[in-house]
Amino acid sequence: MSFSDFLLMRNELLLVAAAVIILIADMSFSDENKRGLYNISLLTMIIITVLGFLPAPSGKLFGGMYITGDIYILMKNILNIATVIVLLQSRGWLEKPGQQKRMGEFILLLVSVLIGMSYMISSGHFIMFYLGMELATIPLAALAAYELNKSKSAEAGIKLILLAAFSSGILLFGTSLIYAAAGTLYFEGVMAILDSTAFTTLGLILFFAGLGFKISLVPFHLWTADVYEGAPTNVTSFLSVASKGAAVFILVIILNTVFKSLNDVWDPMVYALIIITITIGNLFALRQRNIKRFLAFSSIAQAGFIMLGVINDGGLGMATVIYFVLVYVFSNLAAFGVAAAIENETGKESIDDYNGFYRTNPRLSLVMMLAMFSLAGIPPFAGFFGKFFLFTAAAEKGYYILTLIAVLNTIISLYYYLLVIKAMFIDKNGAPIGYFKSDTAMQVSLVICILGIIVTGFTSGVFDYMVNLSQQFFLTLQ
Amino acid sequence: MDKEALILFFLSAIAIVGIGMLLSWLVAPKSKNIQKKEAYECGIPTVGSSYMQFRVGYYLFAIIFLIFDVETVFIFPWAVVMKSMGMTAFIEIIIFFGILGLGLLYAWKKNALRWD
Amino acid sequence: MNALTIIFYIMAVLMVVFSIMAVTSRKLLRAAIYLLFVLIGVAVFYLAVDYMFLAAVQVVVYMGGILVLIIFSILLTSHLGERLQVVKPTTMLFAAVLSLVSAGVVISVINGFTFITSTFEGDKLTVAHIGQQLLSYDQFGYVLPFEVISILLLAAMIAAIAIAKYKHQGKS
Repeated sequence: MSFSDFLLMRNELLLVAAAVIILIADMSFSDENKRGLYNISLLTMIIITVLGFLPAPSGKLFGGMYITGDIYILMKNILNIATVIVLLQSRGWLEKPGQQKRMGEFILLLVSVLIGMSYMISSGHFIMFYLGMELATIPLAALAAYELNKSKSAEAGIKLILLAAFSSGILLFGTSLIYAAAGTLYFEGVMAILDSTAFTTLGLILFFAGLGFKISLVPFHLWTADVYEGAPTNVTSFLSVASKGAAVFILVIILNTVFKSLNDVWDPMVYALIIITITIGNLFALRQRNIKRFLAFSSIAQAGFIMLGVINDGGLGMATVIYFVLVYVFSNLAAFGVAAAIENETGKESIDDYNGFYRTNPRLSLVMMLAMFSLAGIPPFAGFFGKFFLFTAAAEKGYYILTLIAVLNTIISLYYYLLVIKAMFIDKNGAPIGYFKSDTAMQVSLVICILGIIVTGFTSGVFDYMVNLSQQFFLTLQ
Repeated sequence: MDKEALILFFLSAIAIVGIGMLLSWLVAPKSKNIQKKEAYECGIPTVGSSYMQFRVGYYLFAIIFLIFDVETVFIFPWAVVMKSMGMTAFIEIIIFFGILGLGLLYAWKKNALRWD
Repeated sequence: MNALTIIFYIMAVLMVVFSIMAVTSRKLLRAAIYLLFVLIGVAVFYLAVDYMFLAAVQVVVYMGGILVLIIFSILLTSHLGERLQVVKPTTMLFAAVLSLVSAGVVISVINGFTFITSTFEGDKLTVAHIGQQLLSYDQFGYVLPFEVISILLLAAMIAAIAIAKYKHQGKS
C-alpha cells in the first residue's frame, strides 16, 4: 500500500480536509462577523466540486472495504453540486443577525453529512455502509432541529432521529441475517455466496426497509411531511435532494451487486412499492396548502418514479436513475430556493400567500414555473427527459402496466404542480407579497439550477455519458 | 478464565442485595399515616413535585463525556498491539486523536465546556 | 444442562421481563432504570460466550455513558413527575397483533435456517486480536471504519453543540 493509493479516496479526503479547514476557520472568526467563514467554506466546497470532475483512478482500497470507479465519482459529483447549491441558498438565512454565530455548526454538519454520503456510496462492506449511513443521518437530525426558536423545528429533529434510529435498527437486523447466511460482510463475498432462500429474503426485506426509510418510499414515508415542514427550508431542500439521492444511489449499487441473485425477490417488491409510493404521494400532494408539505409529498412521488429505474437491473436502469437524480437536484432545489427566498423575506409558507406573486416578483415566479414544469415532466425541460428515460427503462424489462400506471400518475401530478403556477400567475390577491430582492448568492444558485434544468435537458451527451459509465460498471461486475 | 465464576458473582451480587431488601421489607415494622409521607415533620406543607428540570448544560457535558468514553474503548485494543504493529498503528491513532482533539478544541473555543 | 445454560435462561427471562417493564412503565425514569437491567443482561451474555472485551465495553459505554445520557435527557424534560399517557386500547391491540405476527414470521424463518458452525473459538478472541484487526489495512482489517468513527464522533459533538449550547429566545 502506497500513498498514491490514497488518491482513490480523493473526494472523501478532500472533504475531510475541508471540514478541518472550516472548523479551524470557525474558531478564528469572531461571533459577530462570520462572513469570512462563509466565503472560505463556499470556496473550498466549490474547489472540491470542480476537482471532482478531474479524471480519477478506479479500484479498491483496504481489501475491498472501499470501492471507487467512474460511476461512483459521478454520483459523488452530483451530491457535491447539490451541497454547493444548498450552501449558496442558505447564505441569506445564515447571515441573519442573531443567526450568524451558529453559522460554523451549520456548515460543518452539512459537510460531515456529505462525507458520510460519500463513504456510504463507496462502501464495499456492510460495516462501512452502516457507518456512512449514520454519518449521513445523525448530523441531519441536528440540522433539522437547528432553529431553536421554533418548536416545529425541534419536533422535526426528534422525529427524524427517532425514526432513523428505528430504521437503522431494522437495517442492522437484516444485515445480521445476511451475515449469518453468507459468513462475510464484504459486498463481493456476499454477492458470491448469497442464494435465494426464505432466510436471505427476510434479510433483504429488512435491509430494504431501512433504506426505504431514507428514500421515503411509501410504507416508510410517515416522517417526511412533518420533518420537511418543521426543518429550516434550506435543510429541507438538502434532505430532499442529497440525502434521498445518496440513498437511491447506494440502493441501486447494492441491489445490483450484493443482492443480484435475489433479483426475483426484489423485483416484485420494488414493483409494488412503486405503485403505492407514486399514488399515495400524488394523492396527498393534491391537498397540501403549505409549500413545504406540498414539496414533501411531491418528493415522495418523485422517489416512486426514481424506483422505475431501479427495477431495470441493467446499465440503462442505473443510468436513468443517476440522470433523474441530477435533474431532480436542479428542479427541486430551484423550487426550494424560491420557497426559501420568500420565507426568508416574509416568513410565509402557504401556497395561498403566493397568489399574485407574478405581479410583484416576476423573475422568481418564472424560476418557480420552470422548476414546476421540470418536476411535472413537461417537455422540453430536463424533467421530461428524466421521466421519459425512466419509463423506457421500466418498459425495456416488460413492465408495461407499471409504466402505464406511472404515466397516469404523471398526469395527476401535472395538476398539482400547475396549481402552484396558477396561484402565482392567475389568482388575484388584494395584498400580494411585496417586491423584494433576494441576495446575490441565492440569485446565483437559482441561475445554476435553471441552467442545469435546461442544459441537462437539451444536451444528449450527459445521458449518453451516464449510460456509458453504467454499462462499464456492469461489465466490471462479471 | 472461569467465566461461570464471574457470572455467578454477578448474579450473587444481585441476589444478596435483593434478598436484603426483601428481608427488610418483610421484617420491618410498617406504619402508614399521611404525616409520614411528608418531606418534613414540621414547617409548611410541600407544594408540587420534588423533581426539578435539569439545565441543558448537563446534557452537553454528558454527551462530550460519552464521546471520549467511546474513544477510550478504541484506545485499549490499540494500546495492546501498539508495540507489535509499530509505526502504522501509531500513525493511525494520531489521525484518530487529531480529529477528536480538534473536536475538543472546538468545544472549548465555543464555550461548550464552560458552566454558565 | 450445565451451569452456563441455566444462567442463560435465568438472564433471558430477566431480560424479557425488564424489557417489557421498560416499555410499559408510565414513569420515564423507571423505564430508564429497567433498561439498565436489560443492558446488564447483555453484558452477562457477552461474558457467557467469552467476549470479555465486549462485556467491558458494554459496561463502560452503555451503562456508564449512554444510560447516564438517557437519564440526563429525561431530567431535561419539564413534565418529569407526571405519568405518561395511557395508550388507547385499540392502538395497543393493533401494536400487539403486529408485533406478535412479525415476531412469529421472523422466528419461524430463523428456525428453518441451518446455521453454519463457526470454526472460530470464542475464548481465543483476545484484545490483541481485536487491536490487530482494528488497525490492519489489509483485507479483513478495519482501519477505515476506525478512522471514520472519529469523524462520526466529531460530527456528533458539533451536533450537540449546535443544539444545546445556545439559549433560545422565547417561544413562537
